[in-house]
Amino acid sequence: MLRQPLTRALALSSSSRIAPLGVRRYAEALAQPEKVEVFIDDKPVYVPPGTTVLQAAAMVGVEIPRFCYHERLAVAGNCRMCLVEVEKSPKPVAACAMPVMKGMRVKTTSDLTKKAREGVMEFLLVNHPLDCPICDQGGECDLQDQSMAFGSDKSRFTDIHFSGKRAVEDKDVGPLIKTIMTRCIHCTRCIRFASEVAGVDDFGTTGRGTDMQVGTYVEKMFLSELSGNIIDLCPVGALTSKPYSFAARPWETRRIDSVDVLDPLGSNIVVATRTNEVLRILPRTNEEINEEWLSDKSRFACDGLKRQRLVTPMVADSRGNLTPVEWEDAIVAAAHAIRDCPPNKLVAIAGELADAESLVALKDLVNRLGGENVCTEQYFPMGGSGTDLRSSYLLNTKIANVEDADFVLLIGTNVRFEAPLLNARIRKAFIHKETDVAYIGPKVDLTYEYTHVGDSASIVKELATGSSNHEVLKRLQSAKRPVVILGADQLKTSEGSALLAFTQELALRLQDKLEDKEWKVLNVLQRTASQVAALDVGYKPGVGAILQDGPKVVYLLGADAGVVTRESLPKDCVVIYQGHHGDVGASIADVVLPGAAYTEKRGTYVNAEGRAQQTLPAVTPPGKAREDWKILRALSEVLGARLPYDTLDEVRHRMAEISPSLVAYGDVQNNNYFAQARVLAQSLQKPVSGKLDVQLKQLEDFFMTDAISRASPTMAKCVQAVLKQKQSPY
Amino acid sequence: MQAIKALGAVAPSNLLSALRKGALTPITDQVRQTHLPAPDTSEKRPYSPFQKTTNMAEYAVARLDDLLNWGRKGSIWPMTFGLACCAVEMMHIAAPRYDMDRYGVVFRASPRQADVMIVAGTLTNKMAPALRKVYDQMPDPRWVISMGSCANGGGYYHYSYSVVRGCDRIVPVDIYVPGCPPTAEALLYGVLQLQKKVKRMKTVQIWYRN
Amino acid sequence: MSNIAKFLALDKVATFFNIIKQNGGIRGSLFKLYRQDELKDGTLVGEDKFGNKYFENPRYFYGRNRWVEYSDKFHMNYDGSQVPAEWYGWLHYKTDLPPHLDPNRPKYKWMKDWNENLSGTTGQYTPYSTTRPKIEAWEPKSKSTV
Repeated sequence: MLRQPLTRALALSSSSRIAPLGVRRYAEALAQPEKVEVFIDDKPVYVPPGTTVLQAAAMVGVEIPRFCYHERLAVAGNCRMCLVEVEKSPKPVAACAMPVMKGMRVKTTSDLTKKAREGVMEFLLVNHPLDCPICDQGGECDLQDQSMAFGSDKSRFTDIHFSGKRAVEDKDVGPLIKTIMTRCIHCTRCIRFASEVAGVDDFGTTGRGTDMQVGTYVEKMFLSELSGNIIDLCPVGALTSKPYSFAARPWETRRIDSVDVLDPLGSNIVVATRTNEVLRILPRTNEEINEEWLSDKSRFACDGLKRQRLVTPMVADSRGNLTPVEWEDAIVAAAHAIRDCPPNKLVAIAGELADAESLVALKDLVNRLGGENVCTEQYFPMGGSGTDLRSSYLLNTKIANVEDADFVLLIGTNVRFEAPLLNARIRKAFIHKETDVAYIGPKVDLTYEYTHVGDSASIVKELATGSSNHEVLKRLQSAKRPVVILGADQLKTSEGSALLAFTQELALRLQDKLEDKEWKVLNVLQRTASQVAALDVGYKPGVGAILQDGPKVVYLLGADAGVVTRESLPKDCVVIYQGHHGDVGASIADVVLPGAAYTEKRGTYVNAEGRAQQTLPAVTPPGKAREDWKILRALSEVLGARLPYDTLDEVRHRMAEISPSLVAYGDVQNNNYFAQARVLAQSLQKPVSGKLDVQLKQLEDFFMTDAISRASPTMAKCVQAVLKQKQSPY
Repeated sequence: MQAIKALGAVAPSNLLSALRKGALTPITDQVRQTHLPAPDTSEKRPYSPFQKTTNMAEYAVARLDDLLNWGRKGSIWPMTFGLACCAVEMMHIAAPRYDMDRYGVVFRASPRQADVMIVAGTLTNKMAPALRKVYDQMPDPRWVISMGSCANGGGYYHYSYSVVRGCDRIVPVDIYVPGCPPTAEALLYGVLQLQKKVKRMKTVQIWYRN
Repeated sequence: MSNIAKFLALDKVATFFNIIKQNGGIRGSLFKLYRQDELKDGTLVGEDKFGNKYFENPRYFYGRNRWVEYSDKFHMNYDGSQVPAEWYGWLHYKTDLPPHLDPNRPKYKWMKDWNENLSGTTGQYTPYSTTRPKIEAWEPKSKSTV
């Protein structure tokens, strides 16, 4: 099976395009061949054979200019910007595609090299429009920078009087990416990204020479959940962001490092703001999580932060209509309701975007009042070891290690939409490592080929007990580094605990036989950014039984998934909603306390692999909105159950008391106690018969999943565009 | 300022309860009430804006304030901060025809001895830190007159990449003088308006009420 | 005779006493000097609705030969904006006819009555914001209109 175009497969000898070795703990200890010595500007450097000249130069700190070359994509060698002089070579050679040879002497600053670069720049600029003043890439444009550094200081361009510059019609590739194809310099990075990383082989070139065009052949939307990354990849202004178009220049914006919360992976992001307004979100390189990619929802849903916001506290008046009030009145109203309520009738429900600080504060508050009913919206079976052992609800393999796997079994999870960057990792392993993937669940498009085992839960049982005669079992058993990923959505049903038990059984059975004792097989992929932190803190997963008792006060901490409805509550029940968006939760509330979104507070989020990371405030909360833990702290004051922390550091201290891993920022621990979890789960292995179904099946399901992305007009446009594309014959 | 100090003095633990009792309302009201009621055209207007005093002590501090304000408004020394064409008009008010000296207004080329800064002209992004630094060097009480469209809101250069859209983004402005550029008369009227504002200051009264 | 008087500047002395007399004696003149920093003699041309009096004396140099004495009720709180628009033109030499002697002044129903500058009082003009709010707030759906 050929997983990539032949030319690229042959050119792909270099392994460094997969994450750098330092990050990959399980990178195979290949017998290292003897290193060869090369000289870059007379500086000797020893590199493994197969390294390109460009990479060797980077090792001694010599940056060779490039347009088409990108570390994470296949080598194309078509921009010629990286031409360097090599001694005894008659012509300058393209450094990005030239493997080093013993004793090679490379001159990156010689006259010939400079002349070559200047010539290439001149040719590139012949057909590049001089519209930098109205180009969105201005200020972060590789072509601009490199023409300043390496280009000629004068123009010889006189063609404008005869034939003029080349002009290319713009393409429409959807509501996220704006194309100005005249600016394209044919580096083909977008094409390579689409076919290699995104797995949507829609882009390509037509024509040759002056007639060459990059496009989608027929007018078509770029149907990928990772499409925004080609904006970052494009070295010129040919592909720019449509929602951000003409909004700001890069030097005007303030950039704040933060963490994404719209999917469970906690991708690292940079929030670009100006005048207290979030303008765009860009990925921040983190080899262990998102490399340098970002999913479209995380990148473009930021305009949802400006709409449907709760900016003032609200209390329902005598007619039941929410009316704006001052903080004092809202807090007093909330305190009245809570004080009049017996502790066992008080239910606190945390939503998907809650940070660990407010989760801790809410739980502490409820416990201080004598209540125990704190739960999350997402369900997780409490049978067996339940949530006591961290290993049973995390991605134990770790995201970066997935690309070292040689067999991946996905159970009831559409990774592509639930965690797009984890899917990109699996796809990378699939392409570069001959990893095979098997999948149990309804048929979905994962962008790579997989063995579809079926969609019945009983298959898991058969695999776990070894009674299956499917070839997947044999593959799993013979695999050196198998990975089993179970979607947390499947655990909602009554068979959830059994399914988890069987998955644990299967994973542990495989893990015990491995030579590599450090390798973890079992993975549970949570759906939301807050779930892991909530389970770490000790929240009960799921609301089911608690709501049936007829609670008198329901405290929703950003709970917008719609698991609580007005109909399911008693008539006299008071609903207090604390959160940042007017969504499902706020519309059923009697008291609304406006909180801060993830770009507006310093909050801790624990991602699906158990890695605590913090967001930093990029803008101030709008209007009267306040940071969530502070609201809970103020409420506790009025209730007379004062929480013992006044500053964020004190809250974090309290978090460290609960679990040190919550404040070990950037770190991820290895999980243990798999065997114990397996023993405890053994009694739960009951026959299962249901079918596995996933919530997000198609691309249009992916865009609007939480309060922020539901408020985002860009995401709404995406859904419409995808649906429209589905109607099109192409 | 005093109100903020007063807020800080109350321990944060019982701040809410204190607020609910309305302990701070008189002070906050007093501070918020920087505006006098609009005058009745038919009524006689006395010299002092502080007429409603309830007891002897209040009467005394009100008169003290009158004295202090009389002194302050009679010697408003502006810091010369000429940035653009408005500065030429600003020079005119110093010349004999308008003669700002008759109001006790004398240019002072040092922020250390100045009371008011006249921001005369386009404030560019590059100049903004310098403006702020000069403002910070002025002793309290200090005032700012924003002169001309550019200083008021960017004016002609509002959409320029290099201009601050109004000097009130950098310093707190007391008086805005409209015009492009405002005439020397207009600026003089602005100085008189500032005198009126100085006359309303309640330095001693606020100190007393706290 | 008059030449000698002129030579001895007796006419100036006469003017001085005339000014004192016109401004209400020594006490009255000192009060006017305190209020206006200036004492002048002139013919009263008219008076506006606030009670401000307008004077003219061609003996003074052009530019100073028309002036306003603000109404006593303003005391020290007089202000240039207390001169109504109709007198402004006369004061600034746009016209030589004061308003009550000028039959050609337009008078329409839509013309608003003159008002002084109310900045710094509760009657001041405050412009409304024309910028779009950066954050769109959520509007709760009203559940009942009863």
